[in-house]
Amino acid sequence: MCFKNLPIEFDAQGNASLKPGVANPYSYVETPAPTPIEDDPERMRELFARNGAVRRVDFDPVTRVAGALAFHTVVDLENRQVMETASMATLFRGYEIILKGRDPRDAIFISSRACGVCGGVHATCSALACEMAFGIKPPPMGVVARNLLLSTEYLYDHPIHLSLLAGPDFSEAAVRETNPEIWERARNTRTRGAAVHGYELMSDLMTDLTPLTGKLYLEGLYYTRLAREAYVLIGGKYPHPQTVVPGGVSTTIDASDLNEIMLRVVKYFDYGRKTAAIWDDLAEFFYEVNPKYRDIGTRPANMIEPGQWDDPYAYDGTYANADAWGRERWAPPGVLVDGELRTTSLKMLNAGVEEFVEHAFYEEWTGNGDEFYRHKTDPSGNPLSPWHPWNKETIPKPEATSWKEKYSWSTAPRWDRMAMETGAYSRIWVAAQTGPQAFRDSPYIESTGHSVKIHLPKAELPNTEIEWKVPETWGAFERNRARAYCILYTAAIAYDNLQLAYDLLKKGGPDARMSTPYEMPQDHRIGVGLWGAGRGYLTHHLEMDNGVLENYQILTPSTWMASPKDPFGNPGPYEEAVLATPLLENYEKPEDFKGIDVLRAIRSFDPCMPCTTHMHMDGRTVSREIISCACGADEVHEHH
Amino acid sequence: MSKLKLQTVPNAGGVFGAGVEGVGGLGGSPTGPLNIVHVFWIAGMSCDGCSIAATGATNPSVEDLLLGRIPNLPKVVLHHPVLSPGAGTEFIAPFRRAVDGTLGAPYVVVLEGSVPDDQAFPTEYGYFSGMGVGGFDPDHDTEQPIRVSDWLWRLAPGAAAYVAIGTCATWGGVPAAAGNITGSMSLTDFLGRDYRSALGVPVVNVPGCSPVGDNFTETVAAVLLFLANLAPVPKFDELGRPAWLFEETVHRHCPKAGYYEEGVFSEEPGDNQCLVEIGCWGPVVQCNIVERGAINHMGGCMVAGGACIGCTMPGFPDKFSPFYKAPPGSALSGGVSKVTGGAIRRLRRMSMQSGNSEPQWDKAGEVPSGWAGAGGGHGAVGRANAYFYKKLQYRGSVNYAKRNKQQPLPQSRNILGQGANLQPGAGVGDTFEHRETI
Repeated sequence: MCFKNLPIEFDAQGNASLKPGVANPYSYVETPAPTPIEDDPERMRELFARNGAVRRVDFDPVTRVAGALAFHTVVDLENRQVMETASMATLFRGYEIILKGRDPRDAIFISSRACGVCGGVHATCSALACEMAFGIKPPPMGVVARNLLLSTEYLYDHPIHLSLLAGPDFSEAAVRETNPEIWERARNTRTRGAAVHGYELMSDLMTDLTPLTGKLYLEGLYYTRLAREAYVLIGGKYPHPQTVVPGGVSTTIDASDLNEIMLRVVKYFDYGRKTAAIWDDLAEFFYEVNPKYRDIGTRPANMIEPGQWDDPYAYDGTYANADAWGRERWAPPGVLVDGELRTTSLKMLNAGVEEFVEHAFYEEWTGNGDEFYRHKTDPSGNPLSPWHPWNKETIPKPEATSWKEKYSWSTAPRWDRMAMETGAYSRIWVAAQTGPQAFRDSPYIESTGHSVKIHLPKAELPNTEIEWKVPETWGAFERNRARAYCILYTAAIAYDNLQLAYDLLKKGGPDARMSTPYEMPQDHRIGVGLWGAGRGYLTHHLEMDNGVLENYQILTPSTWMASPKDPFGNPGPYEEAVLATPLLENYEKPEDFKGIDVLRAIRSFDPCMPCTTHMHMDGRTVSREIISCACGADEVHEHH
Repeated sequence: MSKLKLQTVPNAGGVFGAGVEGVGGLGGSPTGPLNIVHVFWIAGMSCDGCSIAATGATNPSVEDLLLGRIPNLPKVVLHHPVLSPGAGTEFIAPFRRAVDGTLGAPYVVVLEGSVPDDQAFPTEYGYFSGMGVGGFDPDHDTEQPIRVSDWLWRLAPGAAAYVAIGTCATWGGVPAAAGNITGSMSLTDFLGRDYRSALGVPVVNVPGCSPVGDNFTETVAAVLLFLANLAPVPKFDELGRPAWLFEETVHRHCPKAGYYEEGVFSEEPGDNQCLVEIGCWGPVVQCNIVERGAINHMGGCMVAGGACIGCTMPGFPDKFSPFYKAPPGSALSGGVSKVTGGAIRRLRRMSMQSGNSEPQWDKAGEVPSGWAGAGGGHGAVGRANAYFYKKLQYRGSVNYAKRNKQQPLPQSRNILGQGANLQPGAGVGDTFEHRETI
């Protein structure tokens, strides 16, 4: 059963339709958010009697994440529990109106500017949405070039997170400051992976994770650059590439470019082996010190993954065949609920998505599902919610922050009305569960049904088979570990595609062209680009008419995960994970509390906020006057 | 009666302790030589792409600046929301000291992203871009986020210099494009014409979307080298751009510019010629990415086949879009180039053909290369061309080739033909004799 909460049923052939006989099938009754502790006088008196054991701790900003994220908590430092959380995206740029009425191809460049960490994948996703709307597909070489762009992008992206953002929380300096007893233990603990990463003692490994001075930190920085050097050979520049076009890329690729890329990609074989061994050691060491470290950042394994890296011969840019070409991807799509695959259909993944704004600085636009909305179904006839991105309208309204009402510029996306996480780990997890029959043929990657095995040629280190297994428990350490394995997974895909590119060069002919010619359609069209970013789920939904954009909606990984509470009473993934996090930090007095376990939990999701909040475009609102409305000086709303 | 509030903790997020130097700690003294500079990096209406570009810089790299690896340069202490170890209260503390004037060392503010006009409404109506919590009034603790625009004006008077990185901060960029509902503007627009830093300098602008990382780090180094009495005064143009980086058009150094000159243009994305007809604005855009490369001298837009969309310019994006349409001026200049360039290309091809032939191949009338069907020698037309070409080439000078006219041709050793019988030195005597007599 694909959906449990949405009013969708399936016939014997598997066709989806709305359950019959329900008026306003998508409408709901809002469950109010719990009263914030500080707004509850009785509770406050009770807490005050506890002499400062309960504190408000605001992490504003949460640093070492990309973009503007703030996180509010109330913590019980006596019982080492988190009592209240609120995740806040603190930036709104209003790209929606900026994109209105522009040439859809301009969205490739403008939407790239939504995110400077993973702008390349935004440009690509936008090109995919254009292709669906224009009815075109790239020649095989265009798809392979795109795969090379997006694999080298992730080879930069994973090290930046592991070394520069998350890694420092496990470094000597941080561990000595927050848990000196663990540092002492690390000095007497031998590692398991010394043969691969070269560190005999845990403490040596942790010393080298230290920001700026640590060898692993600096090595990570180097590897973020090396992959970008490969990227810019095709993309021109990074983070905002200059060569992504509908129907392929505008790059001319010759053997020299491929050689230059290949010589860089193969360096990630050993770096990937080493990084996997390091994060294996870190997870196992902390679990051994205290099994409760498994619960840092834990939540149910509910994940959404659109997949990426298209098969150059299967991808045809159509919505009609999206399920088929989706399943041929090197990272196949899927939705996991409690660690089990609910669907591998891109259309069902798309049909289950809704965005809610009860706790975000936007106004609700549908009248709770009972009004007319534009797209009752997708192009294949599957039902869509009024809160689906193709139906979304954005009416921003800045206001004071209130934990009970509105506190974030992020919406609350849900799939089948559940909060989902997404990332490198959902990618490798879905790939693992796809199984040997369904997973595409690849010389380097094998899906067993419960693990992913990667075998790459030897470099300096031997070609030992590396296996990532679906973990027994789910939390911050496992997120980081899975991401570390994804360096190798990504390198394998880059290498696979390099060989396809060499083959196409040898073959020549129309398949080796970089892009496909097309005419701009002038009639009404819709399209969607589904292609996960380095840190997970990404879709661009567009609607165009008369050759210009009428609606453009971007839904990003961190919108899913940094989301505030939804109308069904569920917290967003960061909020849920931090609520479940035990405070294992070593402090004697409440004043000494720093919050490292909270920060480890948040950072394990690889938050990337720039594109979380502001890529909702809609043709029907004009909102420069929201400023004056907000002032109260002008009560006239001119929403068209 | 005022509402009861929970206590907070003083060092939230300080997982590295308070004394960490380098990224995000404190240090330095107000007197004595300039041995330490704090850099407060603030992100406004930004995508963080400038931060990412800066981490890609290699000459100098960010770590070169932060670790004090460059002799005679003050050490840079960076407070950066993406890179700093500490979070929350701990991260914000030095910002507060800079505002209070109690930092104890000079500081520079770097802004990435444009500035929203949220100063236009009171704080209780929210914000567009926030950083930090608690406000600036010690007597009134608040849980409302502080607006980035508040930090920007409070830090302005005390800053030794104010640097805008990237096109959003320098010129407003995409957030300030048509349809801008947040009132986004550039730092220069926000601070106004009369703004001068504590050292008397207007806002320094390093544009690009995203900028070349090295353009930023090199500008920082150039300023610091000047302050250390080593390098000359860095020159900035009338818009505050580093003149040595932005005075040339990107077309002048473009590897495809030669195609323009010869009148050959790409018709479809993926073609290898000049990109003007698929929308390149390079001839009128001030940028250095094709000579410097995007990262570590690799890539660059047109180097990889990407048409320039003017992302370093104050008019970006609106004055350069729709991006996939040829710039209007290109119809004229491109048309002229096709006519004159076509003739130039043909003449050049002749010269190139001559340059591709050893003088002795010309004499022998054949090219002894195993590689190609290169015929060698010239037909009648080729010989006539070569005759007049040489006339022109050597007019008023010496034709060295003529002096060797009588020199005998060195003989091919014809290795495969002779096989194991190849005798070093065999047959050399005759040739040498001749040479001596010349």
